[in-house]
Amino acid sequence: MSMAPVYVADDGALLDVAEAIVADWAALGVRGSFLARHLGTGEQLGFDVDELMPLASVVKVPLALVVLDRIASGELDPAHPVTVDPAQSSVGPTGLAAFRHPARVAVGDLLLMMLSVSDNAAADTLLDLVRVADVDERLRAWGCGEIRMRHRLNHMYECAAGAAGNDFSLALELALRDERAGRHTIETLDPAYANAGSAAALVELLRRVWCDEVSTPTATAELRRLMGLQVFTHRLAGELRADSLRWSGKTGTFLHLRHEIGVAEAESGDRVAMAALTRADRCAGLAPDVDLAIGAAGREAFEALRR
Amino acid sequence: MDLLAHLEAYAATADEASFSRAADRLGIAQPLLSRRIKTLEEHFGGLLFDRSRRQITITELGALLLPYARDVLDRAQRLRQVAGTAGRARTQAVGVPAHCAPAALARAIRAGAEHGITLGMRELPPAERASGLADGSLSYALVRVPPERGAFQVPLGLASAPEASGGGRGPEYDGVRRAVHLEDLRPRRGRGAERTAPPPVLTLPEDQVPSCEDRLERAVARAGLPPGRFRPAGPAATALAETLAGRALLLCAEPLARQHGARWAPLGDRSLHRGYDVSGAPDRSGSAEVPHWLVPLLASAAGAAARGPGGPGSGTGAEDVPARLAARG
Repeated sequence: MSMAPVYVADDGALLDVAEAIVADWAALGVRGSFLARHLGTGEQLGFDVDELMPLASVVKVPLALVVLDRIASGELDPAHPVTVDPAQSSVGPTGLAAFRHPARVAVGDLLLMMLSVSDNAAADTLLDLVRVADVDERLRAWGCGEIRMRHRLNHMYECAAGAAGNDFSLALELALRDERAGRHTIETLDPAYANAGSAAALVELLRRVWCDEVSTPTATAELRRLMGLQVFTHRLAGELRADSLRWSGKTGTFLHLRHEIGVAEAESGDRVAMAALTRADRCAGLAPDVDLAIGAAGREAFEALRR
Repeated sequence: MDLLAHLEAYAATADEASFSRAADRLGIAQPLLSRRIKTLEEHFGGLLFDRSRRQITITELGALLLPYARDVLDRAQRLRQVAGTAGRARTQAVGVPAHCAPAALARAIRAGAEHGITLGMRELPPAERASGLADGSLSYALVRVPPERGAFQVPLGLASAPEASGGGRGPEYDGVRRAVHLEDLRPRRGRGAERTAPPPVLTLPEDQVPSCEDRLERAVARAGLPPGRFRPAGPAATALAETLAGRALLLCAEPLARQHGARWAPLGDRSLHRGYDVSGAPDRSGSAEVPHWLVPLLASAAGAAARGPGGPGSGTGAEDVPARLAARG
């Protein structure tokens, strides 16, 4: 568990950056994996890029791609309205998951809610239209490496509440204890049962989406547009905010997991895809210093890789 | 038969290999010594020494029984010692935390004398105060308990370097002393950003009690601080030196900080303060009475504060609980 990281870096300077990120994270009690790749030159830097992690809300990106692929093929109508009833929908702090009254929303807008504010109810409503198993099968057919879709988003809440009975601190403590012991009381924290993936597989997926090398160009273009509408800027986006830069990303947060994947694009034409998947050894719901350290890593990587 | 006296004669003779030298060593007449050996031989039903040659030698039976005889003698000796010290020990040991106010302890000792009890103060870490009561080596002790349950509380706070020589913001403004809150220790961003790493907060052995450490760790995490920010101090003198030099903050009670000229401000969260009970060692009947006059004296020595209004409140509680457990953005 506490083994030395396996580094990926195309030259010494990039290796220095990767090592500095590991040290910076370790000082805050954060472990995980990181990969940043320049989509033009293919140069990259990172560490532990093949480690499997539960993806939390990051899984909404591959899910969106599969739904957009169905729309592109005409199997789903983006204008098709769906009723989301709070009495039956999934738990979550934002979007339709936080609604108190039934709402009718079109499929295309469910995608927007899911990617812009990480709406769990929107995601699970889409999973009523495209089954979990079908999403997983589609990802395998595309050759998306270790990215796996195994359950609905609400399953994370159900497992955490099942183990800790709606006590957030207790669930967090269980998660930390299990991480040290290496076995999981909360099933959705076990990469073998969770929606899982690795930094390498996620960056490769982003590369194919940005280079139109997966699904169809209409689907990938819409996914790029939607990822650019994310409202959260506290993590990887945090240090990449300027009118001359564009960040398109998706965060994922569940108990002690803090992730984000995305692509930074500069007016100069440099495009860097990155994935940061982390676990914190800390019993805190909010850890702005950890979010900031992830953001700092993204900026360091972007500046080291851009030409 | 005085078994101990007879065994002493036997062991001395075996050591000296001579009746006369053994008798000299024990300060008794040789015939008496010889008679004791003989009685013992009759008692055990066999010869302990071979007297056929000029130099006496121990027999096989004598060698076999000798270690057992010595063991009985050793135990008898220890019994006498314990009985002797117990007789002399009228002093009642009191376990107190490190860095108590010496003058206040002296008042407690004098009060004991007025009540006919000799009190002896022993400075011990929390775990040893509790175990000392259990094994009877302490008569009374200040025992750590959660502050909301304790008979009295000692405010814990952060000591920092005097003046503005670094080590965090000055907690004293306009003569009004403000509490420090753990959130204040987060590194500053923006204009007030520090150029150096934030100073660690050192903790003393008195606060290295598992239940207190768990509570502190949780509060530290909830305040948005990394887990390594609080760490055990080595010896108190070095920890104070680091603190006075502005390179660390020290989690301690006010008297220690004042005594060494450090600045000090209490922690705003009272649930992190020290709580104490004065407990007595249980006597034969199992009850543990503490003289009523002793409690306030020990409380003041430890630096206790008058119990303030309001209990330790924590958590905002207004949040949508299920949503916190769900996957978030």
